[in-house]
Amino acid sequence: MDANLSLSLLLMVVGMTTVFITLFSVVIIGNLIIRVVNKYFPEEVKKAVSTAITSSTIEKNKMAAIIAAIDIVTAGKGKIIQVEKK
Amino acid sequence: MSAYFTIQHTIMDIIYKLYEMTAIGNIIASPEILIMYALGFLLLYLGIVKKYEPLLLVPIAFGVLLANFPMGQMGVVPADLIKIDEHTHMNLFDIAHNYGIMNYLYYALIKTGILPPLIFMGVGAMTDFGPMLRNLKLSLFGGAAQLGIFAVLIIAMLFGFTPKEAASLAIIGGADGPTAIFTTIKLAPHLLGPIAIAAYSYMALVPVIIPLIVKLTCNEKELKINMKEQDKLFPPKYQIKNIRAVKIAFPIILGTVIIVLVPSSAPLLGMLLFGNLVKEIGTDTQRLTVAATDYIMNPATIFLGLTVGATMTSEVFLDPQTIMIIVGGFFAFAISVAGGIYAVKLTNLFSKKKINPLIGATGLSAVPMASRVANEISTKYDSKNHVLQYCMSSNVSGVIGSAVAAGVLISFLG
Repeated sequence: MDANLSLSLLLMVVGMTTVFITLFSVVIIGNLIIRVVNKYFPEEVKKAVSTAITSSTIEKNKMAAIIAAIDIVTAGKGKIIQVEKK
Repeated sequence: MSAYFTIQHTIMDIIYKLYEMTAIGNIIASPEILIMYALGFLLLYLGIVKKYEPLLLVPIAFGVLLANFPMGQMGVVPADLIKIDEHTHMNLFDIAHNYGIMNYLYYALIKTGILPPLIFMGVGAMTDFGPMLRNLKLSLFGGAAQLGIFAVLIIAMLFGFTPKEAASLAIIGGADGPTAIFTTIKLAPHLLGPIAIAAYSYMALVPVIIPLIVKLTCNEKELKINMKEQDKLFPPKYQIKNIRAVKIAFPIILGTVIIVLVPSSAPLLGMLLFGNLVKEIGTDTQRLTVAATDYIMNPATIFLGLTVGATMTSEVFLDPQTIMIIVGGFFAFAISVAGGIYAVKLTNLFSKKKINPLIGATGLSAVPMASRVANEISTKYDSKNHVLQYCMSSNVSGVIGSAVAAGVLISFLG
Protein backbone atom coordinates (compact mmCIF):
# COMPACT_ATOMS: atom_id res chain seq x y z
CA MET A 1 0.00 0.00 0.00
CA ASP A 2 2.79 2.39 0.97
CA ALA A 3 4.66 1.59 -2.21
CA ASN A 4 1.49 2.25 -4.22
CA LEU A 5 0.91 5.54 -2.43
CA SER A 6 4.43 6.75 -3.03
CA LEU A 7 4.19 5.68 -6.68
CA SER A 8 0.94 7.59 -7.13
CA LEU A 9 2.39 10.70 -5.44
CA LEU A 10 5.46 10.44 -7.64
CA LEU A 11 3.24 10.18 -10.71
CA MET A 12 1.28 13.23 -9.58
CA VAL A 13 4.40 15.35 -9.12
CA VAL A 14 6.06 14.17 -12.34
CA GLY A 15 2.80 14.30 -14.31
CA MET A 16 1.70 17.78 -13.28
CA THR A 17 5.25 19.12 -13.68
CA THR A 18 5.49 17.66 -17.19
CA VAL A 19 2.07 19.03 -18.15
CA PHE A 20 3.05 22.52 -16.96
CA ILE A 21 6.48 22.38 -18.61
CA THR A 22 4.73 21.40 -21.84
CA LEU A 23 2.18 24.20 -21.60
CA PHE A 24 4.89 26.73 -20.68
CA SER A 25 6.63 25.53 -23.84
CA VAL A 26 3.39 26.16 -25.73
CA VAL A 27 3.35 29.75 -24.42
CA ILE A 28 7.04 30.35 -25.14
CA ILE A 29 6.94 28.74 -28.59
CA GLY A 30 3.72 30.57 -29.47
CA ASN A 31 5.17 33.95 -28.43
CA LEU A 32 8.40 33.23 -30.28
CA ILE A 33 6.60 32.31 -33.48
CA ILE A 34 4.40 35.41 -33.23
CA ARG A 35 7.43 37.68 -32.75
CA VAL A 36 9.37 36.10 -35.63
CA VAL A 37 6.36 36.21 -37.95
CA ASN A 38 5.54 39.80 -36.94
CA LYS A 39 9.14 40.81 -37.69
CA TYR A 40 9.83 38.90 -40.89
CA PHE A 41 6.42 38.04 -42.39
CA PRO A 42 4.14 40.76 -41.06
CA GLU A 43 1.27 40.87 -43.53
CA GLU A 44 0.12 38.59 -46.24
CA VAL A 45 0.15 40.56 -49.48
CA LYS A 46 -3.38 40.45 -50.75
CA LYS A 47 -3.71 40.14 -54.48
CA ALA A 48 -5.35 43.15 -55.97
CA VAL A 49 -8.67 42.37 -57.51
CA SER A 50 -8.91 43.38 -61.11
CA THR A 51 -11.10 46.40 -61.52
CA ALA A 52 -12.33 45.00 -64.80
CA ILE A 53 -14.52 42.47 -63.06
CA THR A 54 -16.47 44.99 -61.02
CA SER A 55 -18.89 45.24 -63.84
CA SER A 56 -22.26 46.77 -63.34
CA THR A 57 -23.93 43.41 -63.97
CA ILE A 58 -22.85 42.10 -60.55
CA GLU A 59 -24.08 43.69 -57.38
CA LYS A 60 -21.40 45.05 -55.08
CA ASN A 61 -22.35 42.89 -52.12
CA LYS A 62 -22.37 39.74 -54.26
CA MET A 63 -18.97 40.65 -55.65
CA ALA A 64 -17.62 41.18 -52.15
CA ALA A 65 -18.92 37.74 -51.14
CA ILE A 66 -17.26 36.11 -54.17
CA ILE A 67 -13.95 37.86 -53.45
CA ALA A 68 -14.08 36.84 -49.79
CA ALA A 69 -14.89 33.21 -50.68
CA ILE A 70 -12.06 32.97 -53.21
CA ASP A 71 -9.72 34.57 -50.70
CA ILE A 72 -10.57 32.00 -48.03
CA VAL A 73 -10.58 28.96 -50.29
CA THR A 74 -7.28 29.84 -52.01
CA ALA A 75 -5.74 31.27 -48.82
CA GLY A 76 -5.14 34.63 -50.48
CA LYS A 77 -3.43 33.21 -53.55
CA GLY A 78 -6.42 33.28 -55.86
CA LYS A 79 -7.22 36.02 -58.29
CA ILE A 80 -10.56 36.60 -59.96
CA ILE A 81 -10.04 37.29 -63.63
CA GLN A 82 -13.57 37.27 -64.84
CA VAL A 83 -17.07 36.60 -63.57
CA GLU A 84 -19.65 35.59 -66.11
CA LYS A 85 -23.37 35.07 -65.75
CA LYS A 86 -24.95 32.20 -67.67
CA MET B 1 -52.90 -43.56 -32.10
CA SER B 2 -49.23 -44.28 -32.56
CA ALA B 3 -49.20 -42.18 -35.75
CA TYR B 4 -50.74 -39.33 -33.74
CA PHE B 5 -47.97 -39.61 -31.14
CA THR B 6 -45.31 -39.80 -33.84
CA ILE B 7 -46.61 -36.58 -35.44
CA GLN B 8 -46.85 -34.91 -32.01
CA HIS B 9 -43.30 -36.02 -31.22
CA THR B 10 -42.03 -34.71 -34.54
CA ILE B 11 -43.74 -31.36 -34.01
CA MET B 12 -42.30 -31.09 -30.51
CA ASP B 13 -38.91 -32.03 -31.91
CA ILE B 14 -39.13 -29.27 -34.52
CA ILE B 15 -40.26 -26.72 -31.92
CA TYR B 16 -37.41 -27.73 -29.62
CA LYS B 17 -34.90 -27.45 -32.46
CA LEU B 18 -36.28 -24.03 -33.33
CA TYR B 19 -36.02 -23.06 -29.67
CA GLU B 20 -32.44 -24.33 -29.56
CA MET B 21 -31.63 -22.36 -32.70
CA THR B 22 -32.70 -19.11 -31.03
CA ALA B 23 -30.89 -17.45 -28.14
CA ILE B 24 -33.96 -17.49 -25.89
CA GLY B 25 -32.67 -20.44 -23.88
CA ASN B 26 -29.34 -18.72 -23.28
CA ILE B 27 -31.08 -15.56 -22.10
CA ILE B 28 -33.21 -17.58 -19.67
CA ALA B 29 -30.09 -19.37 -18.45
CA SER B 30 -28.18 -16.07 -18.00
CA PRO B 31 -30.76 -13.39 -17.16
CA GLU B 32 -28.01 -10.87 -16.33
CA ILE B 33 -27.78 -10.37 -20.10
CA LEU B 34 -31.05 -8.44 -19.79
CA ILE B 35 -29.25 -5.81 -17.69
CA MET B 36 -26.83 -5.32 -20.57
CA TYR B 37 -29.75 -4.91 -22.99
CA ALA B 38 -31.21 -2.31 -20.65
CA LEU B 39 -27.86 -0.51 -20.60
CA GLY B 40 -27.66 -0.67 -24.39
CA PHE B 41 -31.18 0.75 -24.74
CA LEU B 42 -30.43 3.48 -22.19
CA LEU B 43 -27.30 4.53 -24.08
CA LEU B 44 -29.22 4.50 -27.36
CA TYR B 45 -31.90 6.68 -25.74
CA LEU B 46 -29.27 9.13 -24.47
CA GLY B 47 -27.59 9.25 -27.86
CA ILE B 48 -30.66 9.43 -30.09
CA VAL B 49 -33.25 11.30 -28.00
CA LYS B 50 -31.09 13.35 -25.64
CA LYS B 51 -28.39 13.82 -28.30
CA TYR B 52 -25.57 13.16 -25.81
CA GLU B 53 -22.48 12.54 -27.95
CA PRO B 54 -24.58 10.57 -30.50
CA LEU B 55 -21.65 9.96 -32.85
CA LEU B 56 -20.05 7.77 -30.21
CA LEU B 57 -22.80 6.71 -27.84
CA VAL B 58 -24.93 5.20 -30.64
CA PRO B 59 -22.18 2.87 -31.99
CA ILE B 60 -21.05 2.02 -28.43
CA ALA B 61 -24.62 1.22 -27.40
CA PHE B 62 -25.21 -0.93 -30.45
CA GLY B 63 -21.90 -2.66 -29.82
CA VAL B 64 -23.12 -3.47 -26.29
CA LEU B 65 -26.27 -5.04 -27.73
CA LEU B 66 -24.38 -7.01 -30.38
CA ALA B 67 -21.89 -8.33 -27.82
CA ASN B 68 -24.64 -9.62 -25.57
CA PHE B 69 -26.71 -11.52 -28.13
CA PRO B 70 -25.82 -15.09 -27.17
CA MET B 71 -24.29 -17.16 -29.96
CA GLY B 72 -23.91 -14.03 -32.08
CA GLN B 73 -20.10 -14.22 -31.77
CA MET B 74 -19.93 -10.45 -31.54
CA GLY B 75 -18.60 -10.07 -28.01
CA VAL B 76 -14.90 -9.39 -27.59
CA VAL B 77 -13.13 -12.28 -25.89
CA PRO B 78 -10.34 -11.81 -23.30
CA ALA B 79 -6.78 -11.58 -24.63
CA ASP B 80 -5.90 -14.86 -22.86
CA LEU B 81 -8.07 -16.79 -25.32
CA ILE B 82 -6.11 -15.59 -28.34
CA LYS B 83 -2.75 -16.37 -26.75
CA ILE B 84 -0.96 -19.42 -28.11
CA ASP B 85 1.95 -19.21 -25.68
CA GLU B 86 3.74 -16.52 -23.68
CA HIS B 87 5.03 -14.66 -26.75
CA THR B 88 2.73 -15.74 -29.55
CA HIS B 89 -0.85 -14.81 -30.38
CA MET B 90 -3.27 -16.14 -32.96
CA ASN B 91 -3.15 -14.43 -36.32
CA LEU B 92 -6.08 -12.28 -37.40
CA PHE B 93 -7.46 -14.96 -39.72
CA ASP B 94 -7.66 -17.46 -36.85
CA ILE B 95 -9.20 -14.84 -34.56
CA ALA B 96 -11.91 -14.11 -37.15
CA HIS B 97 -12.46 -17.82 -37.76
CA ASN B 98 -12.65 -18.82 -34.08
CA TYR B 99 -14.26 -15.77 -32.46
CA GLY B 100 -16.00 -13.81 -35.23
CA ILE B 101 -15.50 -10.52 -37.03
CA MET B 102 -15.91 -8.25 -34.01
CA ASN B 103 -12.86 -9.82 -32.42
CA TYR B 104 -11.01 -9.44 -35.71
CA LEU B 105 -11.83 -5.70 -35.70
CA TYR B 106 -11.01 -5.33 -32.00
CA TYR B 107 -7.64 -7.03 -32.13
CA ALA B 108 -6.67 -5.42 -35.45
CA LEU B 109 -7.81 -1.86 -34.73
CA ILE B 110 -8.19 -1.36 -30.99
CA LYS B 111 -5.64 -3.63 -29.40
CA THR B 112 -2.98 -2.27 -31.72
CA GLY B 113 -3.94 1.28 -30.69
CA ILE B 114 -4.48 2.48 -34.28
CA LEU B 115 -7.87 4.16 -33.97
CA PRO B 116 -7.37 6.79 -31.24
CA PRO B 117 -4.43 8.45 -33.08
CA LEU B 118 -6.42 8.40 -36.33
CA ILE B 119 -9.31 10.10 -34.53
CA PHE B 120 -6.86 12.61 -33.05
CA MET B 121 -5.68 13.41 -36.57
CA GLY B 122 -9.28 14.25 -37.49
CA VAL B 123 -9.71 16.26 -34.30
CA GLY B 124 -6.55 18.19 -35.16
CA ALA B 125 -7.88 18.92 -38.63
CA MET B 126 -11.00 20.38 -37.03
CA THR B 127 -9.20 22.34 -34.30
CA ASP B 128 -8.45 26.03 -34.54
CA PHE B 129 -5.44 27.08 -32.46
CA GLY B 130 -6.24 30.73 -33.26
CA PRO B 131 -8.01 31.56 -29.96
CA MET B 132 -5.18 29.91 -28.02
CA LEU B 133 -2.51 31.82 -29.94
CA ARG B 134 -4.31 35.10 -29.24
CA ASN B 135 -4.47 34.32 -25.51
CA LEU B 136 -1.42 32.18 -24.91
CA LYS B 137 -1.15 32.72 -21.17
CA LEU B 138 -4.66 31.37 -20.63
CA SER B 139 -3.54 28.05 -22.06
CA LEU B 140 -1.72 27.36 -18.78
CA PHE B 141 -5.08 26.73 -17.14
CA GLY B 142 -5.38 23.69 -19.38
CA GLY B 143 -2.61 22.27 -17.23
CA ALA B 144 -4.26 22.99 -13.90
CA ALA B 145 -7.35 21.17 -15.09
CA GLN B 146 -5.41 17.91 -15.32
CA LEU B 147 -5.33 17.81 -11.52
CA GLY B 148 -8.34 15.47 -11.44
CA ILE B 149 -6.36 12.82 -13.30
CA PHE B 150 -3.61 12.61 -10.72
CA ALA B 151 -5.84 13.13 -7.68
CA VAL B 152 -8.10 10.24 -8.68
CA LEU B 153 -5.05 8.14 -9.51
CA ILE B 154 -4.09 8.32 -5.82
CA ILE B 155 -7.66 7.67 -4.62
CA ALA B 156 -8.14 4.71 -6.97
CA MET B 157 -4.92 3.09 -5.78
CA LEU B 158 -6.06 3.51 -2.19
CA PHE B 159 -9.27 1.69 -3.17
CA GLY B 160 -7.32 -1.32 -4.38
CA PHE B 161 -6.94 -0.68 -8.10
CA THR B 162 -3.56 -1.66 -9.51
CA PRO B 163 -1.43 1.29 -10.69
CA LYS B 164 -2.26 0.52 -14.35
CA GLU B 165 -5.99 0.24 -13.65
CA ALA B 166 -5.94 3.40 -11.52
CA ALA B 167 -4.18 5.36 -14.27
CA SER B 168 -6.72 4.19 -16.86
CA LEU B 169 -9.59 5.20 -14.58
CA ALA B 170 -8.02 8.53 -13.68
CA ILE B 171 -7.46 9.59 -17.28
CA ILE B 172 -11.25 10.03 -17.55
CA GLY B 173 -10.54 13.34 -15.77
CA GLY B 174 -8.86 14.56 -18.94
CA ALA B 175 -12.32 14.58 -20.55
CA ASP B 176 -10.91 13.29 -23.79
CA GLY B 177 -12.42 10.08 -25.17
CA PRO B 178 -9.64 8.99 -27.56
CA THR B 179 -6.98 9.74 -24.91
CA ALA B 180 -8.87 7.69 -22.31
CA ILE B 181 -9.25 4.80 -24.74
CA PHE B 182 -5.62 4.96 -25.88
CA THR B 183 -4.33 4.95 -22.29
CA THR B 184 -6.62 2.09 -21.28
CA ILE B 185 -5.61 -0.01 -24.29
CA LYS B 186 -1.98 0.41 -23.25
CA LEU B 187 -2.42 -0.08 -19.50
CA ALA B 188 -5.60 -1.97 -18.60
CA PRO B 189 -7.41 -3.24 -21.72
CA HIS B 190 -9.79 -5.37 -19.62
CA LEU B 191 -11.38 -2.12 -18.34
CA LEU B 192 -11.80 -0.57 -21.78
CA GLY B 193 -15.59 -0.87 -21.95
CA PRO B 194 -16.56 0.75 -18.63
CA ILE B 195 -13.87 3.44 -18.96
CA ALA B 196 -14.97 4.40 -22.47
CA ILE B 197 -18.60 4.53 -21.36
CA ALA B 198 -17.74 6.65 -18.31
CA ALA B 199 -15.50 9.00 -20.33
CA TYR B 200 -18.04 9.63 -23.07
CA SER B 201 -20.99 9.81 -20.67
CA TYR B 202 -19.31 12.49 -18.57
CA MET B 203 -18.22 14.36 -21.68
CA ALA B 204 -21.86 14.31 -22.73
CA LEU B 205 -22.77 15.58 -19.27
CA VAL B 206 -20.44 18.60 -19.48
CA PRO B 207 -23.49 20.94 -19.64
CA VAL B 208 -24.53 19.56 -16.24
CA ILE B 209 -21.18 19.01 -14.51
CA ILE B 210 -19.46 22.35 -15.26
CA PRO B 211 -22.40 24.54 -14.06
CA LEU B 212 -22.61 22.36 -10.92
CA ILE B 213 -18.92 22.78 -10.04
CA VAL B 214 -18.98 26.48 -10.98
CA LYS B 215 -21.97 27.01 -8.68
CA LEU B 216 -20.12 25.30 -5.82
CA THR B 217 -16.85 27.18 -6.29
CA CYS B 218 -17.49 30.64 -7.79
CA ASN B 219 -19.36 33.75 -6.74
CA GLU B 220 -21.30 36.20 -8.92
CA LYS B 221 -18.58 38.86 -8.83
CA GLU B 222 -16.00 36.44 -10.20
CA LEU B 223 -18.31 35.21 -12.95
CA LYS B 224 -18.97 38.80 -14.03
CA ILE B 225 -15.29 39.49 -14.78
CA ASN B 226 -15.35 40.80 -18.34
CA MET B 227 -12.33 39.60 -20.27
CA LYS B 228 -12.70 42.14 -23.08
CA GLU B 229 -12.65 44.99 -20.59
CA GLN B 230 -9.63 43.44 -18.91
CA ASP B 231 -7.94 43.28 -22.33
CA LYS B 232 -8.62 46.99 -22.83
CA LEU B 233 -7.15 47.79 -19.41
CA PHE B 234 -4.17 45.48 -19.87
CA PRO B 235 -3.67 44.94 -23.62
CA PRO B 236 -1.65 41.92 -24.79
CA LYS B 237 2.03 42.47 -25.61
CA TYR B 238 1.83 41.33 -29.21
CA GLN B 239 -0.78 41.61 -31.90
CA ILE B 240 -0.52 38.83 -34.46
CA LYS B 241 0.19 40.40 -37.84
CA ASN B 242 -0.01 37.25 -39.95
CA ILE B 243 -2.17 34.65 -38.27
CA ARG B 244 -1.93 32.16 -41.16
CA ALA B 245 1.86 31.97 -40.98
CA VAL B 246 1.73 31.61 -37.20
CA LYS B 247 -0.88 28.85 -37.43
CA ILE B 248 1.25 26.90 -39.93
CA ALA B 249 4.49 27.24 -37.96
CA PHE B 250 2.85 26.45 -34.62
CA PRO B 251 2.04 22.70 -35.05
CA ILE B 252 5.42 22.04 -36.68
CA ILE B 253 7.54 23.66 -33.98
CA LEU B 254 5.30 22.70 -31.07
CA GLY B 255 5.16 19.08 -32.22
CA THR B 256 8.93 18.91 -32.48
CA VAL B 257 9.48 20.32 -28.98
CA ILE B 258 6.72 18.46 -27.11
CA ILE B 259 7.47 15.09 -28.63
CA VAL B 260 11.12 15.48 -27.68
CA LEU B 261 10.01 16.29 -24.12
CA VAL B 262 7.37 13.54 -23.84
CA PRO B 263 8.00 10.95 -26.58
CA SER B 264 5.17 8.69 -25.45
CA SER B 265 2.67 11.43 -26.32
CA ALA B 266 3.75 11.21 -29.98
CA PRO B 267 0.96 8.91 -31.25
CA LEU B 268 -1.74 11.26 -29.99
CA LEU B 269 -0.12 14.71 -30.13
CA GLY B 270 1.84 13.98 -33.29
CA MET B 271 -1.31 13.02 -35.16
CA LEU B 272 -3.28 15.92 -33.67
CA LEU B 273 -0.68 18.44 -34.79
CA PHE B 274 -0.28 16.80 -38.20
CA GLY B 275 -4.04 17.00 -38.74
CA ASN B 276 -3.97 20.65 -37.70
CA LEU B 277 -1.06 21.42 -40.01
CA VAL B 278 -2.77 20.08 -43.14
CA LYS B 279 -5.86 22.08 -42.22
CA GLU B 280 -3.89 25.31 -41.79
CA ILE B 281 -1.94 24.91 -45.03
CA GLY B 282 -5.24 25.32 -46.80
CA THR B 283 -6.08 24.50 -50.40
CA ASP B 284 -2.78 22.82 -51.22
CA THR B 285 -3.54 20.03 -48.73
CA GLN B 286 -7.30 20.33 -48.68
CA ARG B 287 -7.76 16.74 -49.88
CA LEU B 288 -5.77 15.51 -46.89
CA THR B 289 -7.88 17.62 -44.54
CA VAL B 290 -11.07 16.20 -46.01
CA ALA B 291 -9.65 12.68 -45.73
CA ALA B 292 -8.67 13.24 -42.09
CA THR B 293 -11.97 14.78 -41.03
CA ASP B 294 -14.35 12.68 -43.12
CA TYR B 295 -13.04 9.57 -44.86
CA ILE B 296 -10.72 8.44 -42.06
CA MET B 297 -12.34 9.85 -38.95
CA ASN B 298 -15.87 8.68 -39.71
CA PRO B 299 -15.10 4.97 -40.23
CA ALA B 300 -12.60 5.15 -37.34
CA THR B 301 -15.38 6.49 -35.11
CA ILE B 302 -17.76 3.72 -36.18
CA PHE B 303 -15.24 0.94 -35.57
CA LEU B 304 -14.07 2.48 -32.30
CA GLY B 305 -17.62 2.79 -30.98
CA LEU B 306 -18.77 -0.67 -32.04
CA THR B 307 -15.70 -2.52 -30.82
CA VAL B 308 -15.50 -0.64 -27.51
CA GLY B 309 -19.19 -1.44 -26.99
CA ALA B 310 -18.52 -5.07 -27.87
CA THR B 311 -16.02 -5.36 -25.01
CA MET B 312 -18.92 -4.93 -22.59
CA THR B 313 -20.18 -8.44 -22.24
CA SER B 314 -22.19 -9.13 -19.09
CA GLU B 315 -19.30 -11.11 -17.55
CA VAL B 316 -16.95 -8.14 -17.90
CA PHE B 317 -19.30 -5.24 -17.18
CA LEU B 318 -21.35 -6.53 -14.26
CA ASP B 319 -18.54 -6.22 -11.78
CA PRO B 320 -18.17 -4.01 -8.68
CA GLN B 321 -15.13 -2.45 -10.35
CA THR B 322 -17.40 -0.96 -13.01
CA ILE B 323 -19.38 0.99 -10.41
CA MET B 324 -16.12 2.23 -8.90
CA ILE B 325 -14.99 3.35 -12.35
CA ILE B 326 -18.23 5.26 -12.92
CA VAL B 327 -17.96 6.99 -9.51
CA GLY B 328 -14.19 7.56 -9.80
CA GLY B 329 -14.62 8.97 -13.30
CA PHE B 330 -17.08 11.57 -12.01
CA PHE B 331 -14.65 12.68 -9.29
CA ALA B 332 -11.79 12.87 -11.80
CA PHE B 333 -13.95 15.07 -14.00
CA ALA B 334 -15.18 17.27 -11.16
CA ILE B 335 -11.72 17.73 -9.61
CA SER B 336 -10.33 18.70 -13.03
CA VAL B 337 -12.96 21.43 -13.43
CA ALA B 338 -12.37 22.64 -9.87
CA GLY B 339 -8.57 22.50 -10.37
CA GLY B 340 -8.83 24.87 -13.32
CA ILE B 341 -11.13 27.23 -11.42
CA TYR B 342 -8.88 27.41 -8.35
CA ALA B 343 -5.82 27.97 -10.54
CA VAL B 344 -7.56 31.07 -11.94
CA LYS B 345 -8.51 32.24 -8.45
CA LEU B 346 -4.90 31.82 -7.32
CA THR B 347 -3.67 33.80 -10.33
CA ASN B 348 -6.19 36.57 -9.63
CA LEU B 349 -4.72 36.99 -6.14
CA PHE B 350 -1.37 38.03 -7.61
CA SER B 351 -2.34 39.61 -10.92
CA LYS B 352 -3.75 43.04 -11.70
CA LYS B 353 -5.45 41.67 -14.80
CA LYS B 354 -8.35 39.61 -13.50
CA ILE B 355 -9.44 36.42 -15.23
CA ASN B 356 -12.92 34.94 -15.28
CA PRO B 357 -12.75 31.57 -13.44
CA LEU B 358 -14.84 30.00 -16.19
CA ILE B 359 -11.66 30.00 -18.25
CA GLY B 360 -10.15 27.62 -15.72
CA ALA B 361 -13.27 25.45 -15.73
CA THR B 362 -12.81 24.80 -19.45
CA GLY B 363 -9.24 23.60 -19.02
CA LEU B 364 -10.38 20.03 -19.37
CA SER B 365 -10.70 18.90 -22.99
CA ALA B 366 -14.31 18.34 -24.21
CA VAL B 367 -13.78 20.87 -27.03
CA PRO B 368 -15.77 22.97 -27.82
CA MET B 369 -18.71 21.95 -25.65
CA ALA B 370 -17.03 23.05 -22.40
CA SER B 371 -16.37 26.53 -23.83
CA ARG B 372 -19.94 26.87 -25.08
CA VAL B 373 -21.28 25.91 -21.66
CA ALA B 374 -18.95 28.41 -19.96
CA ASN B 375 -20.09 31.13 -22.34
CA GLU B 376 -23.71 30.37 -21.52
CA ILE B 377 -22.95 30.73 -17.81
CA SER B 378 -21.11 34.05 -18.24
CA THR B 379 -23.84 35.56 -20.43
CA LYS B 380 -26.40 34.53 -17.83
CA TYR B 381 -24.76 36.94 -15.38
CA ASP B 382 -23.95 39.61 -17.97
CA SER B 383 -25.44 39.34 -21.45
CA LYS B 384 -22.49 41.26 -22.95
CA ASN B 385 -19.80 39.15 -21.32
CA HIS B 386 -18.83 36.61 -24.00
CA VAL B 387 -15.92 34.46 -22.83
CA LEU B 388 -16.05 31.82 -25.58
CA GLN B 389 -12.83 32.81 -27.36
CA TYR B 390 -10.92 33.02 -24.08
CA CYS B 391 -12.26 29.66 -22.88
CA MET B 392 -11.25 28.06 -26.17
CA SER B 393 -7.63 28.85 -25.27
CA SER B 394 -7.62 26.74 -22.11
CA ASN B 395 -10.01 24.26 -23.70
CA VAL B 396 -7.68 23.50 -26.63
CA SER B 397 -4.61 23.46 -24.39
CA GLY B 398 -6.51 20.96 -22.23
CA VAL B 399 -6.36 18.52 -25.17
CA ILE B 400 -2.57 18.91 -25.23
CA GLY B 401 -2.40 18.68 -21.43
CA SER B 402 -4.41 15.46 -21.20
CA ALA B 403 -2.42 13.84 -24.02
CA VAL B 404 0.81 14.73 -22.19
CA ALA B 405 -0.60 13.40 -18.90
CA ALA B 406 -1.50 10.17 -20.71
CA GLY B 407 2.01 10.03 -22.13
CA VAL B 408 3.52 10.34 -18.65
CA LEU B 409 1.27 7.58 -17.27
CA ILE B 410 2.07 5.26 -20.18
CA SER B 411 5.81 5.95 -19.87
CA PHE B 412 5.86 5.14 -16.17
CA LEU B 413 3.42 2.27 -16.02
CA GLY B 414 3.27 0.81 -19.53
